[in-house]
Amino acid sequence: MEEKILEILEEHCEEALTYDGDSMMEDGVIDSFTVINVVSDLEDEFDIEIDAKYVVAENFRNKEAIIALVKRLLEE
Amino acid sequence: MGETKATAFRRVIVIGYGKVTGEVLRYVCDRQEEYGYDLEFIEHEMHSLSVTEKICAERGVSFQRIPDKKRLAAYLDGVVGETLIVSASNNYLFPSALVQKENITVINFHNALLPEYPGRNAPTWVIYAGEKETGITWHYVTVGVDEGDIIIQRRCPVGEDVKAYELTERLMDLAAEAFRECFADVLERRAQTRPQGFDPARRLYRSREIPSDGRFCLTDPPEEIYRLLRSVDYGKSDIFPPPRTVIGGREAEILRYRRIAPDGQEDRPGFVYLPFRDGLLKMKYRYADCADEKDCTGGGT
Repeated sequence: MEEKILEILEEHCEEALTYDGDSMMEDGVIDSFTVINVVSDLEDEFDIEIDAKYVVAENFRNKEAIIALVKRLLEE
Repeated sequence: MGETKATAFRRVIVIGYGKVTGEVLRYVCDRQEEYGYDLEFIEHEMHSLSVTEKICAERGVSFQRIPDKKRLAAYLDGVVGETLIVSASNNYLFPSALVQKENITVINFHNALLPEYPGRNAPTWVIYAGEKETGITWHYVTVGVDEGDIIIQRRCPVGEDVKAYELTERLMDLAAEAFRECFADVLERRAQTRPQGFDPARRLYRSREIPSDGRFCLTDPPEEIYRLLRSVDYGKSDIFPPPRTVIGGREAEILRYRRIAPDGQEDRPGFVYLPFRDGLLKMKYRYADCADEKDCTGGGT
């Protein structure tokens, strides 16, 4: 699963894979449109619905946060 | 430090939200020392992924959050001195009295080629109409909505698969580029403008309007269905409700859609497929009236 998430991230924003901070949005690594694309691909790949309430900077602060979000949604 | 360039504007106020707002804010900040104006940013509409506050903090720009329309109107009404307001992806309609004040100049980014598609959600209507080309306009703000003289325009193609949020992103990138080209001319009051020359009876798109009322029939031409789906697709933002149709006699919301290969159909509940171009249009749905989660996707074809 993690591998697939990283593939999706790589497709839309390669820099996210090497980013080691805790605020990709504020640090300009990804923007809101990249987030929309990533969310769309994650939903398709894992057949999950990522509700708008989860689409906040906190859940996209780095790749670990994104992986944790998908894990949480898959367990729900 | 270089010589200060000539502008009558003592103050520049940037207002808006979204990607283009950040780009514009950075550029206005970059030119501040050169022209010597005071700079401030106003956040009127909130966006969960906005980074403008961070940009302001990093660059020492005055940041104000004024979500209330009346408060914002009062604040702007109290602005003294020659002031340029840059409205960059902003849905607030400036009061007539404000835009008519002698010391106030307002420029606005519109995400279409004015005089076409004035009003709200222009990318939606461009996609829904099947336009092959669109673009952006920076224009002066006057009393009428999106009626002021054009400062600069840039064009771009509309791809046959493009979704509203993808087109919006492209338009915001174009708007940022165009702003960098015209900002000095605006500051120095030497921008070559032209009137829109629009038909006074032209349609103004309102925020509550939704293409086809957001509904389609599964028997509609698939190309039309696809255009509707793409035209209201802004990802997770709630600009429009999910498109609706009737599946198996029940009201259903389309959650996702995608073009797939002709042999890509799976026998799973919650998906509906239509022949489309050289393959299929796959749509994931849930029943709008479902009582519980298990009932939401039924056993659709």
